[in-house]
Amino acid sequence: MTQPQRDRLAAAQTELLRALLADGATPPGFDEDRVRIEKRALRNKRRGIVEMLRPDVADELGERFRPLFDAYARTHPKEDGTRFREDAARFADWAVGQGELKPPKKKRWWQRTAT
Amino acid sequence: MEKLGVGIGWRPEIDLTVERLPGVDFVEVVAENLHVSHLPESVLLLRDRGIPVLPHAVSLSLGGAEPVDRDRVAHLASLAEALDAPLVSDHVCFVRAGGLDSGHLMPLPRTRDALDVLVANVKAAQQDLPVPLALENVAALLEWPDADLTEGQFFAELVDRTDCHLLIDVANLYANARNLGTDVSRFLDEIPLERLAYVHVAGGEEHQGVYHDTHAHAVRPEVLDVLAQLRARVDPPGVLLERDDHYPADAELAGELAAIRAVLG
Repeated sequence: MTQPQRDRLAAAQTELLRALLADGATPPGFDEDRVRIEKRALRNKRRGIVEMLRPDVADELGERFRPLFDAYARTHPKEDGTRFREDAARFADWAVGQGELKPPKKKRWWQRTAT
Repeated sequence: MEKLGVGIGWRPEIDLTVERLPGVDFVEVVAENLHVSHLPESVLLLRDRGIPVLPHAVSLSLGGAEPVDRDRVAHLASLAEALDAPLVSDHVCFVRAGGLDSGHLMPLPRTRDALDVLVANVKAAQQDLPVPLALENVAALLEWPDADLTEGQFFAELVDRTDCHLLIDVANLYANARNLGTDVSRFLDEIPLERLAYVHVAGGEEHQGVYHDTHAHAVRPEVLDVLAQLRARVDPPGVLLERDDHYPADAELAGELAAIRAVLG
């Protein structure tokens, strides 16, 4: 059985992901510089995917997209089981809640084929 | 291992390019992006031409502390059957932990604990797969402390205990040499090259002294040098070019495939 190994590994991997994704402390033994670089790389990748999936949101926010997404990401790490499309939608909802993005117009039945 | 030749990663953005590039012997598809019930026409066309289509998974998180997700393995298995694939692959990494999703292929601590868990997860996945599983080395930007094994020893023991095949990414190996000081020739000496299924080649860029494996830039000569070092030891059954973003003109991709062929000799 591998349960003791799994438990120790889970603790170590969780600690690292919290440091990288959720502003947790750098676990002992890791190079602070490298953790910072990895953090940025992961955030850039996530932001890039959101930008690709929701160009409408990125376009409307313009230069504010990057700082806003990064602020969002620090307090909203991507949770296990969340699809990237949901991640992008949650960011858009958050940005609306912050007053940074216009709320989406409700689609009326006669607009179904519009644009 | 079955001879595969020289190939390229099939992506929806370059489907026509892949179809018409001369001398593409095999392709790879990202397993998570396909549904068995509606496979892209382009992929079916390639399969029907007799070009092997290899499903490449990125989400099994085989090195994660959790037992492997059987639904993800089942998806990979059904894709292998639908595509009549000779083998499938994923990475030696973890993706998720503690309810968080890194969205990336994270390096494992090279400890006995991590190896035991990885071996158990790989064996569980193999039981549910209809074809052999090849496992790939990832590019890391950071190093876990307190390693018990070198990366080569870690892979050698993994193969020994699971009988898996190897998918060696020479760009990832170059990245780890640059960023973490991994000894390329020692790695190549330590891994069982007779278990090599195929090789990945990809481009990247340097940013503030760190090499990033982007799959969005040209393949560097240094990466082809690593391929040459591997070629000096073994004739790889297959070599595949991965490009995932900022797709260049067809001629540029053809040029990169030609450069790979030139190294293989």
